[in-house]
Amino acid sequence: MVRIRKLIAAVLLITSIGMGSTAYAGTNYSTQDLRLTGAGGVALDATIYLPKATPAPAILLAHGFSGDKTSVATQAEQLASNGYVVLAWTARGFGNSTGEISMDSPNGEVADVSKLIDYLSTRKEVIQQAKNDPMVGITGDSYGGGISLMTAGYDRRIDAVAANITWNNLRQSLFPQNSNDPALGPYKKFWAGTFFALATLPNSLAGECGTFTPEWCNAFKDAVATGLPTAADVKLLEASSPSTITNRITAPTLLMQGEADSLFPLSESIKNAEQIHAAHPKTPIAMIWHSGGHDGGTDESPRLHQAVIDWFNIYLKGMKKNFPTFQVTNTNGSISLVDSSVIPKFLSSPNLPLNIPTKMIPIAVPFVALVAPIGGIPGAISSLPGVGSALALAGNVGGVTAAFLPGQSGFLESAPLVAPIHIVGPSSIKIRISSNKTDAILFFSLVVRTASGQTKQPDGIVSPVRLTNIANTGSDYTIQLPAVVLDAAVGDKLAIGISTTDQGYALAQDGRQYTITAQSPITIPQIIFTTKVNRVSLYGWPITALLFILLAFIAIYVRRPRHNTQPAEVSDALVTVSNLTKVYKDGYKAVDGLSFEVKRGQVLGLLGPNGAGKTTTLRMMMGLIFPTEGEIAIDGHPIYPGSPTLAKLGSFVEGSGFLPHLSGRENLELYWKSIGRTDEPFFEEAIRITDLGRALDKKVRSYSQGMRQRLAIAQSMLGMPDLLVLDEPTNGLDPQQIKAMREVLKSYAKTGRTVIVSSHLLAEVEQTCSHVVLMHRGRLITYGTMRRILTKAGKRAGTLEEIFIELIGDDLTIGKDK
Amino acid sequence: MYLPSKTLPYRLEMYRQIKRKRTLFSYLFVISLPVIVALAVKFGTSGNSSGPTRFGSGTADLIGLATKGAANFTTTMFYFATPFLLIAVISIFNGDTVASEASWSTLRYLLAAPVPRTRLLVQKLKVSLTLSLAGVVLLIVTSWVVGAITFGFAPMQTPLGVTLSNSIAIERIAIIGCYLALVLLSVAGLAFYLSVSTDVPLGAVGGAIGIIILSNILDAISGLGSIRNWLPTHYSFSWFDALSSSIDWSQMIRGVSYSIVLFSIFTSLAVIKFNKKDITS
Repeated sequence: MVRIRKLIAAVLLITSIGMGSTAYAGTNYSTQDLRLTGAGGVALDATIYLPKATPAPAILLAHGFSGDKTSVATQAEQLASNGYVVLAWTARGFGNSTGEISMDSPNGEVADVSKLIDYLSTRKEVIQQAKNDPMVGITGDSYGGGISLMTAGYDRRIDAVAANITWNNLRQSLFPQNSNDPALGPYKKFWAGTFFALATLPNSLAGECGTFTPEWCNAFKDAVATGLPTAADVKLLEASSPSTITNRITAPTLLMQGEADSLFPLSESIKNAEQIHAAHPKTPIAMIWHSGGHDGGTDESPRLHQAVIDWFNIYLKGMKKNFPTFQVTNTNGSISLVDSSVIPKFLSSPNLPLNIPTKMIPIAVPFVALVAPIGGIPGAISSLPGVGSALALAGNVGGVTAAFLPGQSGFLESAPLVAPIHIVGPSSIKIRISSNKTDAILFFSLVVRTASGQTKQPDGIVSPVRLTNIANTGSDYTIQLPAVVLDAAVGDKLAIGISTTDQGYALAQDGRQYTITAQSPITIPQIIFTTKVNRVSLYGWPITALLFILLAFIAIYVRRPRHNTQPAEVSDALVTVSNLTKVYKDGYKAVDGLSFEVKRGQVLGLLGPNGAGKTTTLRMMMGLIFPTEGEIAIDGHPIYPGSPTLAKLGSFVEGSGFLPHLSGRENLELYWKSIGRTDEPFFEEAIRITDLGRALDKKVRSYSQGMRQRLAIAQSMLGMPDLLVLDEPTNGLDPQQIKAMREVLKSYAKTGRTVIVSSHLLAEVEQTCSHVVLMHRGRLITYGTMRRILTKAGKRAGTLEEIFIELIGDDLTIGKDK
Repeated sequence: MYLPSKTLPYRLEMYRQIKRKRTLFSYLFVISLPVIVALAVKFGTSGNSSGPTRFGSGTADLIGLATKGAANFTTTMFYFATPFLLIAVISIFNGDTVASEASWSTLRYLLAAPVPRTRLLVQKLKVSLTLSLAGVVLLIVTSWVVGAITFGFAPMQTPLGVTLSNSIAIERIAIIGCYLALVLLSVAGLAFYLSVSTDVPLGAVGGAIGIIILSNILDAISGLGSIRNWLPTHYSFSWFDALSSSIDWSQMIRGVSYSIVLFSIFTSLAVIKFNKKDITS
């Protein structure tokens, strides 16, 4: 045996060498065109794609009906680029392969693939698990998906399967029966005819049957002639159906099915999964319902091809990867965040849609009466091969659509929904039908009827039934409604659309009348989908948010500024400045070791040239600037930002600060209300002292500099504070105003309160102040009564500068540069 | 008597802000959007026919559905307002609030009064967030009223092909309004942080708007991949999920949570910074 096998291998090898091989520049695989021998000597046109790194697992890549090996070239290149040896071949009866089409039958196409696996076992580029057992997966769409499942059932050497838009049972696909009546359903003539034409027209020279086997050609003729297959035909259909061998499949199987598919609807994939799972519960199965299919829909090939690669990576290369068990595309599921157009939403579930939990939707309109027209004309159009849902195409005119013709169709409706429902999968209902005949062909579908009268039939998918032996008194049937993906909103009605005609099917030629009543609620599937976000992060996010709120409070608390709130030693001074130092971030030392005291009743002049540190000192006194060292205490209480002691202090620093859009009076009132006092302001006094007069009711925006200055001083006096701190109150004032200001301060001091005034002009404070602090470059130069300072200067000096020159020479450089 | 808890009361700060022209113009800005769009649709004509002007490329998107009725018009206004208008208004209210006090020099008088620093920020933030929320509510109310006057009360049609009755639509619009108010907290937090960081109100407002626009631009670059999930505006359009027949909350929960996370970070940084800041303005 071994010798013979080697011989075959050698012959095959020679064949392949004869065909030559090509390595493409810029790609990481090379190809070889082959002519391989299939079952019964059929010659198969094939191409093998070899990746750079070998040995590698192999993929058998099958094409769809009427295609050939070139129609899968793109996917083959992608698989090869992902490190797989890919064998693409043209099925018998198509393209440059010889032989006759036998619809993926065990003795035809399936036997061919076994030969191909034999061939792969001879290639050194393919990983071999045992003698004549290469590591191999198989994939394909439609006809190629059929051969994938069939081969997986017949040839145990297949290690992984990925089948797209394919069938479970050809009898059910072509003569669909979706009721519990044992009879075959109506003939799906439009689709069957389309396929027959696809295979025969290009080969019409070979006769009316083209390259079909005579058995298949006859089966088609029987179906067209009578709408019913013979027993032999049924046997033929069954033989080419995965349903016969799904119980043998143990290779991990990925089943992909299109929602826009009236040829092989979603229910085919459910049956495939059910049967594989029932026989071998441990076989890994995953399912993807995508928005494509034989009717067109929306092409999701790139995503599906990636899913196929992922699937093979897991089961042929042993990679660890998370592959959702059941994925569904909700075509109209969400809105694009980019342009608000409708985009699909991808749902996933950890469970296959088998033994789906259900929910009942009661029927409110349980009765319809319909007629089937003689000859089946006019016929409703639900979907068209390769084109899709007729509802989407034809639009909606007055609630009448091509899918639901008046008189020939009706709806069993629910009451308007009070909660939205999301349906994924098959539904069912029990009905009672009575007719003037004993049999009936009907097309059921699950639809949504909106409040505005629109009818939405998902993807134009219908469930055809043929009911036989209807009793005179009526008979009950259970109807399997199509597996669909459907959303219904509150206020919509869920309905079962029933039509007596459909142009895609062979119909009865005589006229009929039916009455149909619902005998049960609609049973709808209830699959729990987790969207991309899993539950952990769904709870995790809000918890994280709460955590951050907590963290924010903790951070604010931990990083709060800490102040010395211990009362200082008892002293008779109102203000104690001790060792006060301020170094700004840029290193500039504005105040350097300043210490002095202010006693009650004093009017202290803080004197120094510009840049001496006066303003910085006063700002520290107001709790606006943090001292680098030292501290200021008022009445024995240390000053810090927000320190309650600051309430004893009225302040004016570096100009006024008012809301420009409000009047002076409003500004004063708002200020008083905003500073947390419970006592009444000395409003009239402050205004009288500052002599504001009528200007008070004008908007601050219109004030002159002097007016603002006086308003600001009035503001600082509102509470008649024990201590009034004024920084350069006469800046920018004209001589008259300066004189008035002097009077203001004098009259304030007369009340026995303490005032600190800063200035760079001695003359200005000379007549007001009792005490003086002289500063230069942040340091205290001298400190004492006005009289003493003036004496120290030797003679009466006119300006501060003259005193300075007396005291410290002419080092009067101001500011940062030393 | 001085009581720190009575400083800068909420109503007073509200009065101080409401009296400002800035507030008035911001709200006029909000009102103008639905009015201008409605006028343009009602009286404008499209290039080749005498019919009303159409927006967007198709009938299936939000813009194409704007003229169906009040509810649709309101959601379209949400769509228009989300990327800029609401962000601008929220940046103005929250970015201007402290910086403008600094620029008027009123800040130092409040702090010397003394209004405790944390309290000042809390009171200001309460008011600026109220004003921001009022902006969102104003957008909803004006859009609804203008939409109702111009296009009637037809039930809402969503781009997903779902028809929602007016009562449901109002509920959804309320949800979207709440979502927007919450998801834009991150913008408010950012603007508020900038407001504490600078004495120039325009700098804080402009800075916040600039950063958000940059974030929007980056979010549109698909090449950045999952990095975009961490942009402050990544979830600003997730309210689209409230337009399907049953609401998918997952993205909206993430959006709100992330916004709260950012808001917590920005506001706590603002408070910490302000508590240690030398007030030199």
